[in-house]
Amino acid sequence: MKKLVSLFLSLALLLSVMSFAAAEDDVTLNVMLPDFYSDSDWKSLEDGNPILQKIYEATGVKLNITWVPDSGYGEQTTLTLADPAHMPEVMVMQGVRDAIMISSARAGAFWDLTDFVADAENYPNLAAGADSVYDNLLVDGRLYGIYRARAYARAGVYYRNDYAAQVGYAEEPKTVEEFKDMCLKMAAIDPNIYVFNMCKYVAGTIGVMTVMNGAPYQYGVNAEGKIYPAFEDEAFQEGLDFIRELYAAGGIDPNFMTIESGNWNDAERSDPVKALMRLDCLDNGYRYQEWLEQNKGADASAPIVSLLTALPDKNGKIQIWPQNIGASGEIVVTKAVSADKLPAVMKFLDWCSSAEGQTLLNCGAEGETYWIHSDGFRYTYPEGATDEEKNTADTNTHVILHSLNQLGMNVNGDLTPPAAGTILRDEYNQNLLDNAQYVIGNPCYTFDSETNNLMGASLAQEVEDAQVQYIAGKIDLAGLQTAYANWHAQGGDDILAEYQAIYDAEK
Amino acid sequence: MTKTNAESAVLPGKKVGYWKKLKLDFLKNPWLYLMLIPGLVYFLVFKYLPMWGIIIGFEDYSPFLGPFKSAWKGLYWFQRFFSTSKWMTYLSNTLILSFMSIIFTFPAPIILALMLNEIRSIHYKKVTQTLLYMPHFISIVIVVSITYVIFGTDGIIYKLTTQLMGRSIDYLGDPGVFRWMIVGQNIWKETGWGTIIFLAALTNVDTQLYEAAMIDGANRAQRLWHITLPAIRSTIVLMLVLRMGSVLDTGYEHLILMSNALNRSVSQTLDVFVYENGIKNGQLSYTTAVGLMKSLVSVVLVVTSNKIAHALGEEGLY
Repeated sequence: MKKLVSLFLSLALLLSVMSFAAAEDDVTLNVMLPDFYSDSDWKSLEDGNPILQKIYEATGVKLNITWVPDSGYGEQTTLTLADPAHMPEVMVMQGVRDAIMISSARAGAFWDLTDFVADAENYPNLAAGADSVYDNLLVDGRLYGIYRARAYARAGVYYRNDYAAQVGYAEEPKTVEEFKDMCLKMAAIDPNIYVFNMCKYVAGTIGVMTVMNGAPYQYGVNAEGKIYPAFEDEAFQEGLDFIRELYAAGGIDPNFMTIESGNWNDAERSDPVKALMRLDCLDNGYRYQEWLEQNKGADASAPIVSLLTALPDKNGKIQIWPQNIGASGEIVVTKAVSADKLPAVMKFLDWCSSAEGQTLLNCGAEGETYWIHSDGFRYTYPEGATDEEKNTADTNTHVILHSLNQLGMNVNGDLTPPAAGTILRDEYNQNLLDNAQYVIGNPCYTFDSETNNLMGASLAQEVEDAQVQYIAGKIDLAGLQTAYANWHAQGGDDILAEYQAIYDAEK
Repeated sequence: MTKTNAESAVLPGKKVGYWKKLKLDFLKNPWLYLMLIPGLVYFLVFKYLPMWGIIIGFEDYSPFLGPFKSAWKGLYWFQRFFSTSKWMTYLSNTLILSFMSIIFTFPAPIILALMLNEIRSIHYKKVTQTLLYMPHFISIVIVVSITYVIFGTDGIIYKLTTQLMGRSIDYLGDPGVFRWMIVGQNIWKETGWGTIIFLAALTNVDTQLYEAAMIDGANRAQRLWHITLPAIRSTIVLMLVLRMGSVLDTGYEHLILMSNALNRSVSQTLDVFVYENGIKNGQLSYTTAVGLMKSLVSVVLVVTSNKIAHALGEEGLY
């Protein structure tokens, strides 16, 4: 019996050595990514995807990707992590401070990557990431993922300046108060045209408006060093009151709460236009202008979309809502990866941030999904392409590039071939540089509060619901304050106390 | 059936133990017991064994530690749920919606079946029946989308009622309307399909009874009341008791699709709570405990309704 066992064990050892020898060049990596083109086909490596083939040639890694529609990614994350035997090896975690991220990291679902990121010799690209952003990801002082870099100062307002000109705002408003005045005047243009384009996802709109108005983001610290929720700030209430006023003036679609975030573009990209302004990431603003140029014959030399950000509030203070913390989620390596395989996986992630990796993941392959024109810039279609050829190129890109950029971390900066600038794109990029100083943060972002992990999300949901009801005129100020009082009573006070303790200890 | 030796071996009047009785019965019908085995195994493997999963409702369950190594928490999650002031909202939302559906959705197929039963033209009846089954096959997602289109502020029904009543009703946001929308959608979708079983029961009614009643001068309403309804009474009661078992299953997808910030105060049922906290926020232990509590309430409802069925002189479930 003993002999048999030892024979079996040595055979297993031999097999594993052999498979490892093969794995040195050839690694199959199971990856789970959010899918933004779930309505489009996907070509896998076996089906002959040229981009995955190029990645394989460059790294020896065969990517086996599981796409999960973005809208259901959060749920799929929970379900995936509830079945440790069948986890993907590399996956995106969308919320770096979500309860599921923290509890899974603590339970040992992910590899500790702290040492890899510190190893600048072997993983130079990952090590080049910003420590300030990495710090936001720490769980109990250890790092369990590589952040996916995003620009800080992305958020603001974009609006149709051709309509603003009709109400006397040919020039951009210079202050928050002027901005509010412009909105209310625009609401009066036509009862069928709304001003704010809003949908079910209201956190962005309320956040941009209130922070612009001078409120803190999520939590504030008062003069006595006490932490308080942002919604109790006067400036927050003022910002919310303004949205309510605009709603009452017919400036917001009364059905906005039934519009899915996937259909957010519909109101501004409809004919005739149904909404003139959006409080959101400004890259959507230049995309809107480009869409108008392509579909409505708008003049590229005189954009009819304006980007508005970094406006001084009535006290002269400039604040920008942090659409993110310099990151949009993180890439984790699960324990489905063996300790032996881990360095190879990390090598691959490091390669993903190299110029070659970034280009393949974000732009695809030259001649397949992007083309360098004679002006030296990168385009998504061949030079001199007809509209039909542009469409074909677009469809092909969705099929073979799909949402591969979701695997991109780019912690060491954008190394992809530059795209041709447009007036708004350049303005946006300049904004990112100029305005990063105005972006505010949540002082409690990295604080670990048990109550917040357990019920923070549902408490925040209730407060947000009450704010929406307040905007829509369904409840009055007293009703809103009842909701705030409930927040305190049902766990908010515990969260504040736990945050305060950490805040005081850190100080 | 003739008495076997084994049975006659027991003296009359002597109290026989349960195991002894089972043994005797087994000896009497060995083949029947053999045939029972597959069913028994099915229930053990697929119904009773997975039930041990509820153990995670008493632990701080982590999938990476497994059910045996996760920390034991006892009744912590139950206490936690009842210590929040929201549990009453969840429970009452669940109960109100459930009983509204019993009161309004349950009788609908019976009424429709009776109406169909009165149709004389056999072709018209068949076509109508087929058309009535159709909504059952439409996904609830589509039903909700259609609702959005016709009840939204651009929708035909919204505009019609605004014109007729002179004031607008916020069909999609008003918490007072929410439950009626849910019940209405369910009636629209499932009533036709629900008639099948009652129509089947109606075909078994003896036509001679109708003829006799007609000779005695009974009109249509009287025939309906005194012959048809009593004839399908046991089917109705049986369906009702079955329905009680799942009455708390409000389902979450329908409610989530219809809910938004304006009506969340009434759309949050226990099922929605389990989905939001368990699937979306990953609190597996907490939501297992809440789900278990819901099941206990369901058991109480089934037992009670079965008792009521017996009291009404019907057979009930068991």
